[in-house]
Amino acid sequence: MKKRKVGIPRALLYYYYFPFWLKLFSELNLEPVISDSTSRDLLNKGVKKSLSEICVPIKVMIGHVLNLDQKDVDYIFMPRFRSLKKDVVLCPKFLGLPDMIRHSLPGLKTEVIADQIDSKSDDIAQFSNHQKLAETFSITKREMKSALKKATDFWQRYRDLLFKGYLIDDFAGIEELEILEKVITKFENDPKPPQSRDQNLEAPVNEEVVDIAVIGYVYNIFDQYINMDIINKLKEMGVRVHSFSMVAEETIEKELSNLRKPMFWEFTNKLYGAAEHYLKNDGIDGVIHLTAFGCGPDSMLGQILEVDAKEYEKTFMTLRIDEQTGESHIITRIEAFIDLMRLKKENN
Amino acid sequence: MRLSFPYMGPTIVYAKLFELLGHDVVMPPKPDKEIIDLGVKYSPEFACFPFKVITGIYLKLMDKNLDALVTSGGHGPCRAGYYGEVHKKILQDLGHEVEIIVIDSPHDDYKYFYEVIKRLKGDSSWLQVGRVIKIVYELTKALDEIEKKIEILRAYNDKGTINKLWMQAQEDFYQIKNTAEIKEIKNKYLNKLIKFEDSIPVEAERYKIGIIGEIYVVMEESINNQIEEKVNRFGFEVERSQYLTNWIRENAFPFLDRDLEKIEKKGEEFIEIGIGGHAQGNIGHAINFKEEGFDGIIHLKPFGCLPELVSQSVMDDLSEKYEIPVLTISIDEQTADANVLTRVEAFLDMIREKNYREVM
Repeated sequence: MKKRKVGIPRALLYYYYFPFWLKLFSELNLEPVISDSTSRDLLNKGVKKSLSEICVPIKVMIGHVLNLDQKDVDYIFMPRFRSLKKDVVLCPKFLGLPDMIRHSLPGLKTEVIADQIDSKSDDIAQFSNHQKLAETFSITKREMKSALKKATDFWQRYRDLLFKGYLIDDFAGIEELEILEKVITKFENDPKPPQSRDQNLEAPVNEEVVDIAVIGYVYNIFDQYINMDIINKLKEMGVRVHSFSMVAEETIEKELSNLRKPMFWEFTNKLYGAAEHYLKNDGIDGVIHLTAFGCGPDSMLGQILEVDAKEYEKTFMTLRIDEQTGESHIITRIEAFIDLMRLKKENN
Repeated sequence: MRLSFPYMGPTIVYAKLFELLGHDVVMPPKPDKEIIDLGVKYSPEFACFPFKVITGIYLKLMDKNLDALVTSGGHGPCRAGYYGEVHKKILQDLGHEVEIIVIDSPHDDYKYFYEVIKRLKGDSSWLQVGRVIKIVYELTKALDEIEKKIEILRAYNDKGTINKLWMQAQEDFYQIKNTAEIKEIKNKYLNKLIKFEDSIPVEAERYKIGIIGEIYVVMEESINNQIEEKVNRFGFEVERSQYLTNWIRENAFPFLDRDLEKIEKKGEEFIEIGIGGHAQGNIGHAINFKEEGFDGIIHLKPFGCLPELVSQSVMDDLSEKYEIPVLTISIDEQTADANVLTRVEAFLDMIREKNYREVM
């Protein structure tokens, strides 16, 4: 029998969970089809179909859904992420995403599978989070549970590598499970440390290497189109790039416990915890807050980080991206930022 | 304690609450151009508009020698629940030493809630506190009852006369000391309004507009460009989805409010789960307004409002399915009065025209 095709939009939490989904669909004998990488054309289509004042990541998401609709897939898989921790939810737009898609894209041909994800941790492998998926393809509870177990074990290996200092960027372009498996195995056995931990790293033209923490959501910092490939640009300039996904959960929890009241949004809390950790860390020369136009939670987080950065005397910059950001703008800003840090280092 | 609070809707209610508890209350200034500019200057660029307005109000209050600012919290995921924490940071950073007391739900942190309530109650006994809450609740109900009348009568009578009565009523209510006086004043003004009721035409000739949206821009007329008056001016009646009574019932006595819950549940048809703010409830109210024979919906939201953007996304579909015209207006510091007026006028013209054609 021909494998049925399930489309996965390459947007939002795709970057965080794609190894889990690739493994899961392979175990369930389904063929995952991933939408094309974000491009001018794809983004324009998304922009056209969304409200003008909604945040860029949602516009990107709508572009990817429309892209999948053109790809002749049987279903589009787009879970409704509600919670990944007790009493903490995600941004309202995540909570209402399937509703927005259903009611604002009346021309969509493909059916959307929108399971609601309610989990106590980042591990989303509970059967209750995949009930609709199981129903759609008549998968028994036992089959589903066994596939979920394998998927989560595989995802855990990916997570461990992220904690070890690899960037999501090192994996994100891969669409084939076999290749991903090979890459993960290779990294696991690699004696050479990842770029962010490499003490022997050499900067071009004998400049000093600097350490920068890029604070931002996975769908902003690892979508190479929307952020003009900032990660690689930084690397080329001799920067060790750090991101929130490298910070241990316990560290984030500890930083969060210093707040009287944590924020309401899961990933914003993660960013806060990681950012505070980096602001206090002497090994980090500067922090970039990479945020997207119209991001509500970031408007609150950004204000807090700005004040705290002043307190810790850490070089800090907010970089805002939207559907019109120009490449030269980004380059100028990060070049100036890096120069500033190198100057600071020399003066010390 | 010498304290103040953000300005929203009928401020005399909050003033009365703290005054009766024995605090020295400083009335917050009504938002105007100066306050908004001040707020915009010291708030994050992408913070929602109510946040910026409240920043402005707080900064304006800084020379009043306050002990504390009291505000409500919440458990999100609407940003409003986190305003207090970020305002603390901003005021601190600007070197102002004033405490911000955030009233959070007891479910979130019981101990903190208890501490806050104990401080706010001051020297009053719990019995007195109960009495005060009853007075304030009755006051809110009375205010809302009169305001609902005003929103209808202003469509058919001289705007100035009606507005003056409404202002007087609020001033009189500010003097009350017990529930008997509330009743007395309420009846006085309801009587005064009776003579205007003759002007209401027969049911078939009445036009009604429901206003839904984010609570702050819906309730605060100095922020929403007096949208209700504007609608009234063209001979349309208005009703809102948000009144302070609802808010108090929802937050203080959630078990009391089954009717409201039923209306808000209707929103599940378009937004399946609660997503914060009043998004789902607003959709429910929109459907309810249609069922009650309203002719159109005006949907107000601050620019970039997280939950209301989701409700705006489903609004076209709702409008089509329920055959009710919807006008969405985003409000922020750039909103111009003439722009709002033009859009409202065009919208209302369209409704009259549509109705006229259907009758022909």
